[in-house]
Amino acid sequence: MHWIIDLIVIHRRICSLLLTSLLSLLMITASPVKQADTLRFLSMTIFFPLQIVLSQSTRVKNIFAENHRLKADVIRLSAEVSQLREQAAENERLRNLLTIASDYDYDLLPVRVIAKDPAINFRSVVISSGNNDSIKTFMPVIGENGVVGKVVQVMHRISQVQLLKDPSNRTSVLFSKTRTVGILETETGNDFFVNCRSHEAIEEGDTVVTSGLGGIYPRGLMVGVVRRIEKIKDPLFKKVHVSLCMDFDHLEELFVMRLSPQWSAFRAELDSIEFDND
Amino acid sequence: MINTFIRWFGLFIVIYVLQTTIVPLLAIAGVKPDLLTLTLFFCAVKTEVIPAVFAGFFIGLAQDFYAPDILGQNALAKTIAGFFAGLFNEKVMRIDPLFQLLLIVFMFLIHDAVYYTVQILKTGISFQSIGMEILTTSLPRIFYTLFFALVPIFRELVFPSALKR
Repeated sequence: MHWIIDLIVIHRRICSLLLTSLLSLLMITASPVKQADTLRFLSMTIFFPLQIVLSQSTRVKNIFAENHRLKADVIRLSAEVSQLREQAAENERLRNLLTIASDYDYDLLPVRVIAKDPAINFRSVVISSGNNDSIKTFMPVIGENGVVGKVVQVMHRISQVQLLKDPSNRTSVLFSKTRTVGILETETGNDFFVNCRSHEAIEEGDTVVTSGLGGIYPRGLMVGVVRRIEKIKDPLFKKVHVSLCMDFDHLEELFVMRLSPQWSAFRAELDSIEFDND
Repeated sequence: MINTFIRWFGLFIVIYVLQTTIVPLLAIAGVKPDLLTLTLFFCAVKTEVIPAVFAGFFIGLAQDFYAPDILGQNALAKTIAGFFAGLFNEKVMRIDPLFQLLLIVFMFLIHDAVYYTVQILKTGISFQSIGMEILTTSLPRIFYTLFFALVPIFRELVFPSALKR
């Protein structure tokens, strides 16, 4: 037995060549079925770890590629979702506006707010319609919750709307419950009030609508609700604070009521009046 | 010993991955370099006959496993090629770069001779078509591979300890 081992050790190079060649020849001469079995055996034993490493490296490469693609998809889909949300919100607003449009028996022109007064407490907005859409000055502008303001300047394609929150804009209003008429005023653009006589039975929560007496807004347009009633120094009057229904910070779609002021027939005469400054 | 084995094993895996992924992209008119056989040559001259024989066997087996045409065909060809190259290892003789290139050519010829002999015996392809195959594919492949062989030879000239035993 020892002489065989000695022979192998002495001729180890030839023996290794013979061994490997013999194995190769066995594989070569084997039947296709046997070869398939050998392949299966090799794949399950010797090359399985290598195959795992290779497949893992391919998988990692695929994961990176997939990750890159998914990131791009996430960005694209986020943009789409954002766009769809925006469209859904716009859809909701437009539906509400359509409800308003059917509520009022006036010629309403839908417009879009395209710019705002750059001041923080802005007092006017620019809308997307002008002379070309038959808009004229002093036409009332309303939103989904009520009065927004009036058109004060008109150009071909755009118009400027003076908002109710402009301190120089005074609006004649009516308390629905008591039928009291007053002038809606503001000093800061945030706090709105009406000076009423003390004996008027106005309560908090009463609704305030346009009175139709100013000649610009028709009667009955929603303006706001009574928030607080304040006593002032003059015992004959009280100050009724009003919360406006419109959210002026989020004006997007509005309606212009294509109405001429009630005093438009006398406009020429009114314009010709000269006031004596003395 | 173990370090040498791990180093060569790692190198063969890297070359195997390169051979199956990147090398096909370097093909010119369908001829691509055989980096595995080339690595086997350097393994043989740096180590010895027995490692070269087993390395050739397992590399060939891996190739057969990857593209199983005739199982054992590459294993036999690379075993014999490895044995041939191992006979000229650096323990036995010191070979200059030009002789190394010549040895590589011979090794490839032996490899292809064994490979095509098995092909003829197993599939019954005529000698003429095999001759054409050697002229159109085998020889261009050898010369294309020689171009890559210049890299480690040049590296060995500049940094003699680049591939330690």
